[in-house]
Amino acid sequence: MNEKSSRALNNKIFRGGGGMRNNRLARVGIEAEKELHFPECTRSRRGGGMEYGERLRRLRKCEKNECHLSCDAGMAVFADLNLKRGSDTKALKGLLENAAHLGFSTVAINHVVDFKEKKQEIDKPIVPSELFSSLPIVQGKSKPIKILSRLTLIVSDPSHCNVLRATSSRVKLYDIVAVFPKTEKLFHVACTSLDVDLVCISVTEKLPFYFRRPPINVAIERGIGFEITYSPAIKDSTMRRYTISNALSLMQICKGKNVIVSSGAERPLEIRGPYDVANLGLLFGLSESDAKAAVSTNCRATLLHGEDASLCVSYCTRKIKSKGKTNHDKEKENETTSNKKSENIML
Amino acid sequence: MSTLRRLREAPRHLLVCEKSNFGHDKSRHRQHVQTHYLNYRVSFLIPECGILSKELKNIVMEVGPYYLVKNLPLHELIVHDFINNFVKKGKLILSLDKDTYEEIGLQGHPSRYSGRKVMRYIVTLDLMDSSFNPESKKYKRAFWAFSEKKPLKFNFLLAWHHEGTEQSTVMSYFSKYQIQEHQPKIAFSTLRDLQCPLLQSGELEGKPEESCSAPELFDWLGAVFSNVELNNQSFSFVSTYCCPQPSVLVEKAYLCTITGFIVSEKISLLLEQLCHYFDDPKLTPWVTLSVQGFADSPVSWRENEHGFRKGGEHLYNFVIFSNQDYWLQMAVGANDDCPP
Repeated sequence: MNEKSSRALNNKIFRGGGGMRNNRLARVGIEAEKELHFPECTRSRRGGGMEYGERLRRLRKCEKNECHLSCDAGMAVFADLNLKRGSDTKALKGLLENAAHLGFSTVAINHVVDFKEKKQEIDKPIVPSELFSSLPIVQGKSKPIKILSRLTLIVSDPSHCNVLRATSSRVKLYDIVAVFPKTEKLFHVACTSLDVDLVCISVTEKLPFYFRRPPINVAIERGIGFEITYSPAIKDSTMRRYTISNALSLMQICKGKNVIVSSGAERPLEIRGPYDVANLGLLFGLSESDAKAAVSTNCRATLLHGEDASLCVSYCTRKIKSKGKTNHDKEKENETTSNKKSENIML
Repeated sequence: MSTLRRLREAPRHLLVCEKSNFGHDKSRHRQHVQTHYLNYRVSFLIPECGILSKELKNIVMEVGPYYLVKNLPLHELIVHDFINNFVKKGKLILSLDKDTYEEIGLQGHPSRYSGRKVMRYIVTLDLMDSSFNPESKKYKRAFWAFSEKKPLKFNFLLAWHHEGTEQSTVMSYFSKYQIQEHQPKIAFSTLRDLQCPLLQSGELEGKPEESCSAPELFDWLGAVFSNVELNNQSFSFVSTYCCPQPSVLVEKAYLCTITGFIVSEKISLLLEQLCHYFDDPKLTPWVTLSVQGFADSPVSWRENEHGFRKGGEHLYNFVIFSNQDYWLQMAVGANDDCPP
């Protein structure tokens, strides 16, 4: 492929806006593989297309992380993306076994880092093989539960976000990155420019700021999800009131899109079954199908979003290394690379 | 606000009640039974009956076996050998999620209940189509898709209605895979002192003080099958359900449940035999026959799409009266097409 068409290709990818996610990934895959002819006809949706599957499968094998997403053509796949990692490993093990027993196919162990406290080091994520020699089997399916790693950063100051922008940091080792903004300005920054997969909504206190439509719409377009946890509501009745009222104010603005409901559980008794959580979503103002999606489809979208982000990074760095370009071209690519990080692919 | 309004609504479900007579020419009871293919559980309830008649018992015992084949690759089901031996006419319907659909590369259409983001696709292959012979492009493409592109293997439950003249049986055909024969589970029970609602065959909606309506009967029948206490005692925490009035106390009732993969032809036989139950005069004015489908089947009646939102129910219930009148109630849940 010649210089001009490849640059045109770059511009097409880096432009924001709608379009099928698969289309974009397909084109990213072509550049990365350098062997497939770029077919215009893949834009049509007829019959799913032959080449999609190939490229999708190759792209899904992320080099750094081993998150292979295998969706079987069966019942809905439920996920709980917030199992808090405390100091008690035994409780975590019990929690994971309970989650598998309840029917969750995918869970994410959440490491919470609060920057307000003294200088915090971000630890390496837990490897599932440390916890279990053989992963517990999900009830109702014959596959073992999939355990991913997630990092949540509680940010109350703009300087805390720098760790996300640093190129070499432990953040990259996690499958999902979430941010918990404490002020309105940080919420705006998180929705519009930060490279995260989830924005957590406070459920234990009265909302410190009102939600506004513009940053939420931008976040929905970028594919960022909003997370509501329900385990505080289980423990205490005042928290229950805060959870429901905060959730309702979120739903009024975002209309139930891109919302995920997760447990935030630390102990085995704090997690509930997927259909129960979907019913709880009804109380939060979600419609029936949105509530079921909050535990299944939207979680899947978040996981893929997390994979996409790491793929994009690896693609961009590889491309810059592989082609011998002039300085001018390199600068242009660096510029478009940073733009790319702020416009994530929409699922 | 809209949230409160939504909370008051029940999840979407449809119940279609119709009444007719078995002797009527245009009665479609046979079609309804025969086009509901994937039946999981059949139960019938006969009030005022202590023991089952010999004919009924024979039919119940002769509900044929069903087979479980593990790890059967999908391409075996479209091989012409299989079609000629076992499938006289039929279609292969696949309900796939988004990733599988895109990877498998066959033509299909999005499910009707998808909303904005389509997550489910339906692929239909007509096995009897003239363009589906072994040489055609369509067949080759489908075969390639199932065997090489995305080899899918599933555990299959098979039920086969045979006339007895076929050369090979299911067991011998699939002998290279692990095929196991299962007999359906049959449970008999006699219920004592049951409150039964009074029904009049001509009144589907029920007359106040004289008979109960069809939906009330439907709820009551569900309560009986779930062994719910119908007294509404003050200390009972679990249920406050009462038998709809007017009702009569029946000394004993016979309940039989068959669980497994049951072919619709056997259900037709059972239905006919239950009609003949009233050939001799009996104490009870009505009997019921209920059939439930598998919760995760892709179709309900004929090719109507069936989805699973929170509970994938699709079932029908016959209420057979002594004068050969019947009520037919068909129920489906959310994400389902309306029953025929």
